[in-house]
Amino acid sequence: MKVKLVVLTAALGLLAALPVLAHHSFAAEYDSKQPVELKGKVTQVDWTNPHARFYVDVVDASGNVTNWNLELASPNVLKRNGWTRTSLKVGDEITVQGSRAKDGATMANARTVVLADGKKVFAGSAETGQ
Amino acid sequence: MTKHVISSALAAGALGMFVLWAQAPAQLTAPAGGSQNQNKAKKKKGPPEGPTPKLADGHVDLSGVWNGGGPVGDLAQGMPKGEAIPLTPLGLKVMQSRQSKDDPEANCLPTGIPRIAPYPWRIVQTPTHIFFLFEGNIHSFRQIFIDGRKHVADPDPTWYGDSIGSWDGDTMVVDTLGFNDKFWFDFRAHPHTEQLHTIERYTRLNLGQMSVETTIIDPAYYSKPFTVKFMATLRPGEELMEYICQENQQDAQHLQGGADAPSRP
Repeated sequence: MKVKLVVLTAALGLLAALPVLAHHSFAAEYDSKQPVELKGKVTQVDWTNPHARFYVDVVDASGNVTNWNLELASPNVLKRNGWTRTSLKVGDEITVQGSRAKDGATMANARTVVLADGKKVFAGSAETGQ
Repeated sequence: MTKHVISSALAAGALGMFVLWAQAPAQLTAPAGGSQNQNKAKKKKGPPEGPTPKLADGHVDLSGVWNGGGPVGDLAQGMPKGEAIPLTPLGLKVMQSRQSKDDPEANCLPTGIPRIAPYPWRIVQTPTHIFFLFEGNIHSFRQIFIDGRKHVADPDPTWYGDSIGSWDGDTMVVDTLGFNDKFWFDFRAHPHTEQLHTIERYTRLNLGQMSVETTIIDPAYYSKPFTVKFMATLRPGEELMEYICQENQQDAQHLQGGADAPSRP
């Protein structure tokens, strides 16, 4: 029997894939009112707990490079949802959407990650009401 | 009150979504297609159905890999509808003084009882011991002695306490004393003292569902004993994965504000 992903409701604005953060409150760290969209090249991928992370070099109009720290769900969650540790690679050109860290760090919780070929790779820890 | 209703509802919805998500096995082909990206209602798959498993001696077999069964964000989610957690003024003061960055769970420390991170956990049941093996948030275990022994006379305060269990019909009753005062009951920082006494009741209702009721007794912070109830769902075929929280923990230093802050402005 083919198993389908179950979604509770779209009305709450919750993502289809990835569950709540386990070890800290989303709202204490990230600001859903500060969405970011970043385009750049992946410089590092950490397939680690408590969050898989990847780092992106973002080049601004003046040519200045800022390295951003993007947070994903635990690799345990990503694996159970079909990701692998090579789903994202150093050198990939990507576009990330997410919510910025409240303290102003160049850090964000990644909601979506799109590769240069348009392939959408699941990302992020679902924004919750916590 | 409204703030709590909203945040509780959202948290309950999120937890419910997680529980439903968690029913899907690992062979989802998320990388291949975009169809899972859409927030469409799909066929609901409940917990596995069947009778409560029993051991040869007639006792209930609690073994298996489970999801849920305890709070993550808000202990109050487990209260009966309309009932508030009976914090004393001192308990409320302690709770409101706490900062999110100091949540032990955010710092890769144990969650104690009854808080459970939304990762699978396995019950291993022997004639003398029950072990709860937690995948995360920290990769740790609890042990419950079910061989009839009494509590240790003067236990060193610990994160999970000294647990003794016995059967009350088909319900496993776990009595725990000897806690330290360090873990938080939830993100909102509900506190407790070293006098905390918990009584948990595990009732496997059928193959796939287990009711977990925890009575919390701690007079300095709670004016009367109160009971929270959560449901755990069986995850057949699931195996625990390793989860070493300390290997790359980067969040605690970025957490802002009081732990009891509203989840949304």
